[in-house]
Amino acid sequence: MADKQAIVYIVDQGASTAESHSGREESDLEYGMRYVWDKIATTMAANRTTWNLGVLGLRSDDSVNPLYSSEGDEGYGNISLLKDLGPMRMNELANLQTSLKPSSTNSGDAISAIIIAVSMIEEFTTLKSGKPGKFLRRIVLVTDGQGTLDDSDLDSIADKINEVDIELVVIGIDFDDLEFGFKEEDKPEGKASNEAILQSLVQKCNSGIFGTVAEAVQNLSIPEVKTPRPYSTFKGPLALGDFAKYPDSTMLIDVERYFKTHIARAVTASSFVTRASTANEETGASSKTLEEDTEMADAPELSAVKSTFTYKVNDPTAPGGKKDVSRDDLAKGFEYGRTAVHISASEENVTKLETTQSFSIIGFIPSDKYEKYLNMGESCVTIAKCINVEAVIALSSFIHALHELDSYAVARIVAKDGKDPVIILLAPLIEPDFEGLVDVPLPFAEDIRMYRFPPLDRVITTSGATVTKHRNLPTDELTNAMSDYVNAMDLSTFGKDDEGQPTEYMPMEDTYSPAVHRINQAIRKRAIHPDAPVDPPAEVLMKWSHPPDELVSGNASELKALIDAASVKKVPPKQNGRRFNRETIKPLSGLDVDSLLDRDHRQKISIENSIPDFKQIVSSATSDSNIHDAAKQMSNIICQLVKDSTGDSGYSRALENMKVLRIELLSLEMPDIYNDFIREFKRRLMEGDLGGDRREFFLRVRGEKLGLIDNMALDFCDVSEEDAAQFYSMKVGLPSRAK
Amino acid sequence: MADPKESWKQEDDEEEEDIDETSYISQKDAVLFAIDVSESMLLSPPSSDSNKGETDSPTIAAIKCAYQIMQQRIISSPKDMMGVLLFGTEESKFQEEEYSNSRGHLAYPHCYLLSDLNVPAAEDVKVLKAIVEDDEEAKSLLVPTKEPFSMSNVLFCANQIFTTKAPNFGSRRLFIITDKDDPHSTDKKARSQAAVRAKDLYDLGVIIELFPISHADHEFDRANFYDDIIYRDPDEESTLLAAPNNFKSSGDGISLLTNLISDINSKQVAKRTLFSNLPFEIGPGFKISVKGYNLLQKQAPARSSFIWLGGETPQIAVGESARMEEDTTRIVDKAEIKKAYKFGGTQILFKPEEQKELKTFGPPVLRIIGFKPQNMLPFWASVKKSTFIYPSEEDYVGSTRVFAALWQKLLNDKKMGVAWYIARTNATPLLVAILPSQERLDEATNIQVLPAGLWLYPLPFADDIRNPPDVPTPIVSPDNLVDEMRKIVQQLQLPKAHYDPVKYPNPSLQWHYRILQAYALDEEIPDVPEDKTIPKYRQINKRAGEYINNWQKLLAEQVQLFQKERKERGGLKHEIEDDDGPPKKKARTSAKAATKGLAEMSADDLRKAVEAGTLGKHSVAEFKDLLLAKGLSTSGRKQELIDRVEQWLDDN
Repeated sequence: MADKQAIVYIVDQGASTAESHSGREESDLEYGMRYVWDKIATTMAANRTTWNLGVLGLRSDDSVNPLYSSEGDEGYGNISLLKDLGPMRMNELANLQTSLKPSSTNSGDAISAIIIAVSMIEEFTTLKSGKPGKFLRRIVLVTDGQGTLDDSDLDSIADKINEVDIELVVIGIDFDDLEFGFKEEDKPEGKASNEAILQSLVQKCNSGIFGTVAEAVQNLSIPEVKTPRPYSTFKGPLALGDFAKYPDSTMLIDVERYFKTHIARAVTASSFVTRASTANEETGASSKTLEEDTEMADAPELSAVKSTFTYKVNDPTAPGGKKDVSRDDLAKGFEYGRTAVHISASEENVTKLETTQSFSIIGFIPSDKYEKYLNMGESCVTIAKCINVEAVIALSSFIHALHELDSYAVARIVAKDGKDPVIILLAPLIEPDFEGLVDVPLPFAEDIRMYRFPPLDRVITTSGATVTKHRNLPTDELTNAMSDYVNAMDLSTFGKDDEGQPTEYMPMEDTYSPAVHRINQAIRKRAIHPDAPVDPPAEVLMKWSHPPDELVSGNASELKALIDAASVKKVPPKQNGRRFNRETIKPLSGLDVDSLLDRDHRQKISIENSIPDFKQIVSSATSDSNIHDAAKQMSNIICQLVKDSTGDSGYSRALENMKVLRIELLSLEMPDIYNDFIREFKRRLMEGDLGGDRREFFLRVRGEKLGLIDNMALDFCDVSEEDAAQFYSMKVGLPSRAK
Repeated sequence: MADPKESWKQEDDEEEEDIDETSYISQKDAVLFAIDVSESMLLSPPSSDSNKGETDSPTIAAIKCAYQIMQQRIISSPKDMMGVLLFGTEESKFQEEEYSNSRGHLAYPHCYLLSDLNVPAAEDVKVLKAIVEDDEEAKSLLVPTKEPFSMSNVLFCANQIFTTKAPNFGSRRLFIITDKDDPHSTDKKARSQAAVRAKDLYDLGVIIELFPISHADHEFDRANFYDDIIYRDPDEESTLLAAPNNFKSSGDGISLLTNLISDINSKQVAKRTLFSNLPFEIGPGFKISVKGYNLLQKQAPARSSFIWLGGETPQIAVGESARMEEDTTRIVDKAEIKKAYKFGGTQILFKPEEQKELKTFGPPVLRIIGFKPQNMLPFWASVKKSTFIYPSEEDYVGSTRVFAALWQKLLNDKKMGVAWYIARTNATPLLVAILPSQERLDEATNIQVLPAGLWLYPLPFADDIRNPPDVPTPIVSPDNLVDEMRKIVQQLQLPKAHYDPVKYPNPSLQWHYRILQAYALDEEIPDVPEDKTIPKYRQINKRAGEYINNWQKLLAEQVQLFQKERKERGGLKHEIEDDDGPPKKKARTSAKAATKGLAEMSADDLRKAVEAGTLGKHSVAEFKDLLLAKGLSTSGRKQELIDRVEQWLDDN
């Protein structure tokens, strides 16, 4: 992939392009521009300074171009240079959008425009030394094929294009393209011959494309997959054995290892704020406003956001139990549990395992003993160092031996000196023109967190007996129906290849990352149409979100049989608000613990055992007043916990009590009790009635979302969502924590 | 206790992709070990003839187990809490004064809080270590009381520990290790009190796990007492529970400690779901519900922290981030922040709601597109670790049997499902293969090491596939060399022909914490790391050294042969390979020969090139070099240069 680009777009804006054809509502120019805008936006989105583009207006009202002005040649008239070759900027895009409107003339020669474009590219891509630079050079002509063309010297023009090494792309509005399947019925006079002239010119070029806009626009929805340069993760010997110790019995093969898969990430947004206006005079004056930030020149209203850090340590003597410390007074270290372990600067790397670059085989396993789902992610491919014949033959013998034995190799790799060792599994990959080893990372002991799950083919009862017939196990009927359904929904031959032969449906090459391409498409669209709303995801990105209709409709009976055999029932939404006589939870023995509880005693909630006490009162409540009384006691306990807290030591416990109170009252559908409590609580907190400045606690209340219960949670509640959100604000803000 | 992670969250939101996953992992867990200290628990098992016979009493085994698990948790879940409570001891000890509520101070007789519930500190490790390594220490502390004591008291003691130390932890568990299946056989009142206190713990959200110890002459019977104490969430797969485990302190075979550790280990990691009740659409209009679990989680050493040395003991400084406007250093509020994309030297802005919409591809779902044979999934088509799913009856009754039927079918026919998968609201959609796993039990302990279920295996998109650089067509190794290599591979199979991750602890991670532990506990710093991932060279040499040596010799011969033949054939393709080798190879090799510099070619080679019509493939620069060497003019276009060369060949 050439890194530098020089592309000139020639856009035909003759008066005839204002018309609309082939049943379209938009003008022909707008139609053609769909392609051009998308391509320009794609270049801009790459944010590459070495990707240059220029734009020429053909059949324009003006005649402003280098050849016309220098040679005064009328043949170069009605061609305007709208954007010189160079990186494309946003303001230039806006200029183009105003200038690329249909003109009032039909004069202007497309061939002349191509000559101008060739000279622009030649000049731009010639290095100072006089030699041509390494560029991708391309001319894209979008025209409706009207107007007159001077075809007298096509051969020499083609020679020149080939000499400069330019790719010529001609995209015609309503040009006939039988291969694509487009033919214009009411073709204007002269257009057919112009099409022929342009096509013959393209054919004379070494590299050229001649097509119709309809196809180009259709192809726009196919996402462009970036092909990054191969990234090497290891270069050196692949070893079997210890060469230092056993030189005569150690295999060493010179290899290179590259990424085979690597997750493509969607572009990330950066954070900005609207630049503080004059409101912030005192800070604004002291800031370096003189320094003009070129990056921001186009958007003066936005200002970048940076993070600052402050550090706090516990200090029982400080107010609130914490004090700020300066970053400069801090040393480096690690946490061992909650113990801080200081590691002095001179010993900084003491905890780091010393490693040297290496790639060595640990052993081999049969391929059927590998469980794919236990690998840890992205794969790589290893090939022999290609100029080393010995390495090529040696690796080939290794690859073929693995292949013939159906085996994989387990290896330890340290990509570079000092990097952490990784264990990988290597498999042979043999293709007609390629031999290599592909690998995936394997988990270490610490990476596996095996929770235990009951088996799926038998049920073990609490008494320890094993049964094979149970409502959680499939019946023979269900097993058969599932088998038929899975067979029917087979995709392995459901697709069609280019020749119409059955092939795999949904091959990986046809799946595009929805996250990556949706945002790219949206950015391009927003750049060109700033006011248009965000589109739903493109069809091509949603293509694999459902089974193919044809397959589904063809196998409706199998699905029906499966549904019948399964007899799955949806669980009705949980019944809330059952206030009294709720079902009680019992221990494994089924003992009725509630009957053991001393009722009278338990009407009182103790601060030590508040949560169980409260829950038990609520579950055994026989009247609203029981609940009111219990909630009142809880409210007092919460206030008490906050009030008695040393620093923030009691906050978590108070929050947990609040959470239980809120959840219980919510499920009892008695939101008013909670709302009254939390309003009163906030008032007392703000007034400093709960042991001084406790606003920090209210931030935690906000963090845990323990504020007012609103009508989103319970529809009959008289608190709106906005009121609930507003409730979290503290009129008197906290003093800013950063200095 | 403030969670230091909280303040770092903001910093991470640039990496939007991975953030929600970590928030699931950060759901915190607190485990309190309650270990019975009694005459029978302190009795070493009867000695046996076998060398493997254990000498640890159940109590010591349990404390050793707690000690190991504490060290493990410091590595694997550094934010989680752990504590150790001994009960039935003569001595009593509770929390230090600052945590016990002055007004409600209660004594818990015969409860000895060995290590308070907290994120473990070096001190806690030391306390356990002292008991494990020092017999005298153990003897003086582990003295069982002669008085009767009540279990309700033990349970309430645990209740208070959880209430004060881990009030808002999402997961709180009490591990009871005891051999007494009926502590209050004669005292009905004490029994009832214990049942009431157990209910309190249940209401508090504490789950009790029982690790019962049986003796050779007495089988532990849960029905006697513990079935009144232990609750099971009715929504949890109650009837599907794996068989309860009883541990025998018997002195032969696998030691009690090993058994206990592996069982506690499998339970000590709180079973955290990644998502609950995700609709699993097996066909249009046919749904069941599943839960997702992260059974694979890459562990890495924690990042270094800032330490404040100004106090009595070193302290971690807790960082708080604030956002400020770059040019004015004005602190900005989160609500003010806009997100913009760089585009053509400026920014493209979306409103927050648009930003959100762009990430929305529909509600969470796992939807089957169809099925393929498992062999259609290439080995290398891997981008991310897989997620384990297991059925849940909470939304759809009957989910389990349908799931089981699908699992069975995929397993029997080696098929996989292909599905569209959105894990959570606004999560990025993925295409996944659905692969079945067969249950695997540890051969020695019979404990499950791999559950039966389905795995969501993320598939690469076209955008995720990379390719290595173009290379010349490989030279295929001759058969005899492959034969020799095959012997080597056959000699070096891993034990049990399978990669067992348990045998390969991460050496960097282990070393990091080994050193930290040495610093924290003032132990001697080890010199040499233990690295179990280093190949066993001596064994390799012993088992395959001879074959490798043969292979080396043969390789040298073959390379020589190849080079000789290549020379003789004048750069034409080597014929070791099968005759039906791809024709493309020939084209390539000859093209390569053609690219040999013109100036280096003999007159005969040049004539051949003229005849073959390949002369035009050379660059203008090469022609100029050649013409210059022959003392001819180098001016003119390429065709003229070619003509001139041909002219010269005719003349000479």
